[in-house]
Amino acid sequence: MRRLVLPLLAVLGLSAQAPLLDSHTEDVQERRLANGVRLLVVERRAVTAFHAALVFRGGRAEEPPPLAGATDLLARALYGATWPEDLDPAKGNGSLDALLKEEEGLLEALRLERLRQRKAPESANQAQALGASLWTLHQAVRARYSTSPLADLYAARGGRQTATAGADALLVQTELPASDFEFWCRTEVQRLNVLQLSRFSEARAALATELRSRGPQGLPMIQGAALPGHPYGRDLADHLPALEAMRRSDLQTWARRACRPDQLTVVLVGGLSMDAALPLVERTFGALPAGAASASTEDPLLPEIPADLGDRRIQASLGGTPALLVSWRIPARPHRDHLALRMAARLLEGPSGRLAQRLVRQKAVAQSADVWMDVPGGRLPGLLVVRAVPSEGHSLAELEGALHTEILRLQQEPIPTDEWQRALTQIDVEQLRIQDEPGALASTLARAWAEAGDWRQAEQEVQRLRNLGPEAVQLATRTWLNPSHRTTLWLQSGTDESQDPLEAETARVLKALAATRIEDLAQRERLVSEGLRQLRMLSLDERRRTLKLLEAQLTPEKR
Amino acid sequence: MRPLAALAAIILTLPGQAQTSIRPQAFSLPNGMRVVLLEDHERPLVRARLNVLLSRDLETVHPGLAALALRVLGHSDAGAFSLDEFEQLLAGAGIELVPALRTDGLSWSLLARSRDQDLALGLLADRAFRSVATSLTLETDRLASWRETERLEATPRAKLRLLLEPDPTLQIPTLDHLSAINHPDLLAFYARALRPDRAVLVLQGDLGLEQAKRLVLLSFGTWTVQAQPPVPATTEAAAQATVQPAAASAPAAASAPAPATPQAPRILVRSPRPALLAMAVAAQPEDLDPESAALLALLLPGDPALAPAQLRLEGLDLVGELEADPSGSASSAETSMVERLQAIRQRGFTETDLRRAQAAWSESRALITLHPEAQVREALAEARGRSVSPTRVNALTLETLNQGLRRWLDPARIRTGVLAGPVGP
Repeated sequence: MRRLVLPLLAVLGLSAQAPLLDSHTEDVQERRLANGVRLLVVERRAVTAFHAALVFRGGRAEEPPPLAGATDLLARALYGATWPEDLDPAKGNGSLDALLKEEEGLLEALRLERLRQRKAPESANQAQALGASLWTLHQAVRARYSTSPLADLYAARGGRQTATAGADALLVQTELPASDFEFWCRTEVQRLNVLQLSRFSEARAALATELRSRGPQGLPMIQGAALPGHPYGRDLADHLPALEAMRRSDLQTWARRACRPDQLTVVLVGGLSMDAALPLVERTFGALPAGAASASTEDPLLPEIPADLGDRRIQASLGGTPALLVSWRIPARPHRDHLALRMAARLLEGPSGRLAQRLVRQKAVAQSADVWMDVPGGRLPGLLVVRAVPSEGHSLAELEGALHTEILRLQQEPIPTDEWQRALTQIDVEQLRIQDEPGALASTLARAWAEAGDWRQAEQEVQRLRNLGPEAVQLATRTWLNPSHRTTLWLQSGTDESQDPLEAETARVLKALAATRIEDLAQRERLVSEGLRQLRMLSLDERRRTLKLLEAQLTPEKR
Repeated sequence: MRPLAALAAIILTLPGQAQTSIRPQAFSLPNGMRVVLLEDHERPLVRARLNVLLSRDLETVHPGLAALALRVLGHSDAGAFSLDEFEQLLAGAGIELVPALRTDGLSWSLLARSRDQDLALGLLADRAFRSVATSLTLETDRLASWRETERLEATPRAKLRLLLEPDPTLQIPTLDHLSAINHPDLLAFYARALRPDRAVLVLQGDLGLEQAKRLVLLSFGTWTVQAQPPVPATTEAAAQATVQPAAASAPAAASAPAPATPQAPRILVRSPRPALLAMAVAAQPEDLDPESAALLALLLPGDPALAPAQLRLEGLDLVGELEADPSGSASSAETSMVERLQAIRQRGFTETDLRRAQAAWSESRALITLHPEAQVREALAEARGRSVSPTRVNALTLETLNQGLRRWLDPARIRTGVLAGPVGP
């Protein structure tokens, strides 16, 4: 009976696949304002609120090294909370802006004093006095803010806002009742005009603490090794000194460039029509000054990395569960092979995907296997990453072998029709869900614009995916998922604490030194391992002396 | 002229913006299962949430049993299908079926195209009450649960949060607890917990009332209350092992925290890197009225008296965090966090705060139309008698609100812990 039911259900399921989904782009209306702001409106009549996405194209990938972390700081200091005092443009003595300028000076003086103390610990220490002045100033800043709960302007209207820093864009999402639309337009424009950044010092300190306590992680490591020298391969944790030296005025200058109107698309989904929204958006967002057409407002030239950089391998011990990460350099979202690779990732991922089926259930060599596309972004060539955790009693080498067998199968064996159909069905359901959830629709359109340069790609890609054949997927996987595009990271279960303390400290210093000279993580790892290997041949005393010599080469803040 | 046109356009859209909530339609099956339907034909999608209430005594006897039982169900054959066949059927139709264990019990969330609703509801029923849990599955999942218990993958912050979990159902079980659970315990749990008369099914989306009745009867009509086997006494000793006030620096020992009291031993989690973070978790009092809870959830997280600490609502828990200088003292960071909460408790809120919170809550009602999942959640809360009534929100007095505040932030309810670097206090 069971055997009969299964094919019957499968046949019923397949026969129901035929009709395609309605296109959601038919609902999207677009306008371009004179200053370059793009407006997309998707009206949902039954909805009594609206979801607004502000997407500033650029993101972490466009940050110059001295401003690494600027997008994250904007997400935390400019957005997220909306206090009335932050929208107050008052200037001059005693204004919030004046206090924040004073704070900037004190913070910088304190930073320099700490650096000076590290270089010359015996000299007179001014840090305490500066710290006290800063504390007094913070009290003065705090005194200017409302002391009542629900001071956040959006929370007081039943709304909420979140901001996310990404590799390709800064995405700000707000939800409010439809009747607050005009208020939202005015607030957001005022925020961009004033650029108060009153939470800057707290946001910078919190981000630095987060990066410090997080420590090295698998994904940033493999990004660094696979995309050496490219902003997509940058680990923010390696740029902590730059982050800590960044000033509020630096971030304001950056924000004027990164948040200029021609970098901004406003996506509105909900109980608003284009007729209702456009006049208000024109009056508010349309009044933002267009960026001057100068070299500083042109898209930056980013380094290109050849995809076939060669097979690269790194090993690291971060503690915790051992894991295997394998990545392949893949083309950017607009490339013709990108869609085929997206389909390949879908065939591999998920509980019914090949990796879960074969590696987790059938061969039982993995506890779990995850697949990510477009790491860390899709606007530029990025990565397809597989992360797998070996099962008890199975080695990373064994797991790696099994993973490559699956990739080979995908490249060489015909893809069964039912598997192909299943992947298409999953895409259909995903599209329906996106249409049903205003937040998901807004971020899908925003992402398509930021990554592919056109929001229409969100729909066109789905149509093209349906017309794609299994052969195209195999061809693309043969071209891109090959050893010359590959980087492999073995995360071992041991920790640095299991090393002897002298070797652990030497490794730390060597890594810090190498980080200042070699951008390529794989080369850096090789250099550190070789250095440690050679140092082990020395006597204990010689090793201690060498460590001191190495430490002396580090800048004070890295010691 | 332009501003006038804009104003006119806004006014024109306003009549359509009156609260357009979907009227819930409810019915019950003869077996006692309650069903709520939110009919919405806007898109060819159906969402469902099946929720089964757990009684507290189940977890008191077997810490960790509910989580293990749910995990075993997810890896068992179901109805006429083997696990592989079951998953292929879900994947073939693009059906999402996600289990969860929360304070409000066991639940499964389902999303499917409306054309697959028969199959989807049938599979949900198979998973909920026709799963075949074998002892072999139990052993595999016990091992996986143990790994999860060890939280090798979790960040130190997540570990600390788990150790401070006040709900016994969601607390981390010790290895002893896990080892003590046997196959008869599991079967007894399923018989006692997975009962139609404890279940509420919320359906939302593209299906009508008659169709819903037919489908639910077809899929869940045969679900009956099983005869309850006696509760095995195998884990009585393990249950008593829950309380282990131990050396503060041993996270393993702290994995079974003592009931919260002001004198409770501090839970300390070590981070391999320099850090100092004090965390406080306060569970919502069970008998707190939903209206006070809703307004306090709006007022507390944004209270400036907390600065620089942060407070957020996670499920039914208030979670406070205070980052401090890693070279500082763990106990002063912890005290500072608790003092902030107590300052708010003693200060209370004002009439103005109450009125602003009432207005914010009323306005936030419109946002539910943006989130189909939230509509399902709200219908479930209503079916469980935990929904927030607009009339009662507006009638709430300051005294009731502040009473609720004092109970929620009662020092006896607050569990605290510290995340610190590899060496130090």
